[in-house]
Amino acid sequence: MVNKLYEYLPNAERKGISPKKAIGRIVYIVIGVILSLLFLFPIVYMLATSTKSESAYAASAGSIAMFFPDFADLGEAAKNYGNVFANYGIWRYAINSFLYAAAVIASNILVNGLAGYVMAKLNFPGKRFLSFMIIFLIVVPVETSIIPLYSIVKIMLGLKNTASVLGVILPATISIFNIFLFTQFFENIPQGYEEAARIDGANTLVVFFKIILPLSKSIVATVAVFCFIGVWNDYLWPSMILPYAQEGQWPLYPIQSALTTIQSIQGITTGEIMASLIVTSIPIFIIYVLAQKYIVQGFGTAGLKM
Amino acid sequence: MKKLVNFLLVLTLACVTTLSVVACGGSATDGESGEVDPATGNTIVKILFHVDEKSTEGQAYKKRIEAFNAAYKDKNIKASATYKARSAGAAGYETELLNNQVSGTLADIITFDAPNTASYANSELLYDITSLVPKDVQDDFFSLNTYGGKLYGLPIQESSAGFYYNKKIFREHGIDVSSYTVENPWTFAQFKDVCKQLKDSGVTAVDMRIDATKDETATYLLYPFIYAAGGEFTSADGYTATGYFNSSKTADGFNFIKSLIEEGYTSYAIGATDFFDGSVGMYLSSGWTIPDLDHKYKAVFASRDDWGLLPYPKSEVAASATGSWSFGITNNHHTDKTAAKELLLWLASTESSEAITTATGMIPARKSVNTDYEQGSPEYTLLKQLETSGRERPVTVAYPTFSTCFNQVVSALGSGDVTSLLNTQANTLQNEMNRLK
Amino acid sequence: MTVSALIIAAVFVVVFALFAFYDVVTSRRRKVKYRIWTAMTAYLMLLPAIVLAFLFVLLPILYSLGYAFTDYYLLKPNNISYIGFENFKQVFQEIAGRGTLYHALINTTEFVVGVVPLQIGLALALALFVNKTYKSAKVFKVCFFAPVVISLSVTSFLWLQILSPSEKGLLNSLLGVLGVKPRDWLRDPATAMPCIIVLSAWQGCGYQMLIVLSGLSNIQQNLYEAASLDGAGAWHKFTAVTWPGLRSTFVYIIITVFIGACRILTQPMLMTGYQDHTVTLSYYMYQQGYTYRWVGYSSAVALLMTIVIGTITLIQRRVFREKD
Repeated sequence: MVNKLYEYLPNAERKGISPKKAIGRIVYIVIGVILSLLFLFPIVYMLATSTKSESAYAASAGSIAMFFPDFADLGEAAKNYGNVFANYGIWRYAINSFLYAAAVIASNILVNGLAGYVMAKLNFPGKRFLSFMIIFLIVVPVETSIIPLYSIVKIMLGLKNTASVLGVILPATISIFNIFLFTQFFENIPQGYEEAARIDGANTLVVFFKIILPLSKSIVATVAVFCFIGVWNDYLWPSMILPYAQEGQWPLYPIQSALTTIQSIQGITTGEIMASLIVTSIPIFIIYVLAQKYIVQGFGTAGLKM
Repeated sequence: MKKLVNFLLVLTLACVTTLSVVACGGSATDGESGEVDPATGNTIVKILFHVDEKSTEGQAYKKRIEAFNAAYKDKNIKASATYKARSAGAAGYETELLNNQVSGTLADIITFDAPNTASYANSELLYDITSLVPKDVQDDFFSLNTYGGKLYGLPIQESSAGFYYNKKIFREHGIDVSSYTVENPWTFAQFKDVCKQLKDSGVTAVDMRIDATKDETATYLLYPFIYAAGGEFTSADGYTATGYFNSSKTADGFNFIKSLIEEGYTSYAIGATDFFDGSVGMYLSSGWTIPDLDHKYKAVFASRDDWGLLPYPKSEVAASATGSWSFGITNNHHTDKTAAKELLLWLASTESSEAITTATGMIPARKSVNTDYEQGSPEYTLLKQLETSGRERPVTVAYPTFSTCFNQVVSALGSGDVTSLLNTQANTLQNEMNRLK
Repeated sequence: MTVSALIIAAVFVVVFALFAFYDVVTSRRRKVKYRIWTAMTAYLMLLPAIVLAFLFVLLPILYSLGYAFTDYYLLKPNNISYIGFENFKQVFQEIAGRGTLYHALINTTEFVVGVVPLQIGLALALALFVNKTYKSAKVFKVCFFAPVVISLSVTSFLWLQILSPSEKGLLNSLLGVLGVKPRDWLRDPATAMPCIIVLSAWQGCGYQMLIVLSGLSNIQQNLYEAASLDGAGAWHKFTAVTWPGLRSTFVYIIITVFIGACRILTQPMLMTGYQDHTVTLSYYMYQQGYTYRWVGYSSAVALLMTIVIGTITLIQRRVFREKD
């Protein structure tokens, strides 16, 4: 038995893994797969349901069959996914979401990165007050109603019609937590790097862009990923402040806002809803897989000391 | 790493420009509501709809708005519609409405769900239209949205509910319900008898939707049982719940539902799709289930020969669910309501009513709309039931609390004692009413 | 609104200037030297952040807190008047009278006490599990994170199916094999909150796993090697090296998970609806503020909740912080 398992482990012999270790590895993988299933079952369910017609879905609901696709009628899967693109045109909203995300990522990193750099490296009167405010706003969670924010954007700043786009981007640009994250990260960059540049006569902005940012790939990636996930998943705020597009015009809604609207249309099937959810989760997964290494690094270097 | 910096800068610029270009392309320049557009001399009437523009209902509204604009071109009135779908979560239509109210940009005409009439009227969000709508027009509606004796809204379309049943199951077990028609509805006892026959045949008898207590569904479908038992929820002015919500007749109604649970005819465990896969005998739902049964579940319900619709059972009286969305004029800062009145009467006209219900498949709001439903068809049952026994939900400013209290009672029916449940909730509801006085 | 915002802005600037001035006055005593040029550069670079934070973070907070002293009713936004501490009086009456708010308080406490250790424990276990160099560990790391990015409405719907009271419900049929009777998990006051605790911990632990991993990556490998040389076993290595090394990470995680847990809203909303046995403080505020439209009253609850949570977190910080 042991030998059999050992044979299955690829290149075990060449890598010099002993049979004992090999068994440990196999046990590890088995436990890992079981655990993974415990965390992946929503995705399995979404994938399975996206292949079903409404009747097949009704028949499977509530039983273990809801986690298995309807192999008998795979044409239904093609139909569901086809409809998501053809009837509901979600690709347009996906493009919007990418644009919003890109704008938020870029502005968020610039604004909060600069602030974090100043808080970490420069000395100026009023700094202690600002440090206190930053910790205070993170530690003391104020339950704010969304009403004042709405009034600020709509009445005070007058961001109506198309300018509402700025109402999506600007509030997402500022993140006290990201300032905190950047500050902690930059504090751990040795002073020496900057001093070398300063001797060459570079000013603070140049130092930030040419020395600090390039050294901060991991934290920039971390912030970018969380900005992306945040923008991509947000539906409440955008659907509150963006006007709904008139027919024949390019819509302003991002993907999740559009999805909640589409889901309320009579006649949409559960399979189609799941197909649209699968399609819209793909970008997040790709980005997360690519960036997870940096996230661990970024958090690690920042140290997250409260 | 200069690349990263440049990339970020270029990205910001690119996005901001793209978005502003996209944004400008989509901008609507309809002018301010209720005001005269200087370019054309038109008075703009703004209207806010609660459905998606691309939905069948949205398309029907859109056609009526276009027709209005064509007809009123000479009179210099122009309607401008905004569509904000009523979607899941807090981002839907009601939020938009309230946000517009907060920012003072409320449209001239809005749509609203009937139970909101009292609170919208009481807080002066809605304008009193009693004198704007001619008497004969008012009389032609199955129901009107009134509060304190004044008219605040005209229904767009009506709704009614009933018991969908699986004819195949009924035939198979020899259960005959053909004598229970809308003209001669069944009684609570007869209803229970059918449940018993189904149970004895090994079928889950009825999905009463007692698990649907997270939103308005359970309230909307179950309140007629309490009225049928002779119960009440609030006083006529909507400010007293004690003595109504916990009266013995009200308890009778809830006890009937509780007995269905206890005798094993219904349960909280029935899944939302169980009726549609053919494992439940009857299913309490509104008219919107008709298109689903016609199109979505071909495997179990191939044609109308496989399912039917039964009315609500009666006890002391017959009562059935009603209520739908309505049009109302708002009390925004525009004092001249003549243009808004024209649009309101246009949208609530027999012609519009017919066009809208043809598209949605719902029951028309006006009696004068020609309906050629075949006798005994589900649509016919719903329409007749609405005429004979339709009764609206209680009119009270505390409606949201009423709905929560009702849900809490239904949700605890399985385990709790009805009288003490009703006393607790009557108390909660009364407190809220006192607060709103 | 614009006028009041300008007044608040002016007050903010004055307070800020006072603190800055105090810094300058005490600079000699603190042996700090300020340079004008550096200070100007600093403020120039901070300007976008300060303006945006004032507009979109501070101002909404101040307005929200201000509503607590008014009779703001959502349908009458143009008719708001100051009513002093009326709302707060009502809050205490509601708690004393064992109303819904009382249940919300109890349920939220139960949730926090349950979810904080569970979620952090799960995160630690998962992090230790995937903190390997194997290829498969990388794949598992992605899988465990999955619930974090899936929409809450989908996962809640699925959990509803799993916890279905029907005999055929997934959990009930699984337990049925072991001879356990079917239960109505979410309608039964004894099991509803524990179920919500488990699913929330499941949903959130992937994110904390990443943070624990980052903490683990900061522990120097030679500490483990030294421990090995001393003949330490796996458990001893964990208690002597890993646990102390993760200290500051844990302070951070405890505080953030605690704050997040206090604000739990979506799960009870989607799983049970507004019921006394699962209502939480945030849900109560949502119901009062939006559904029942009492914005003022809801803000008063928010203000009190902020004070309580803020105090607890500050104490936590004091207690857990490394003595440096």
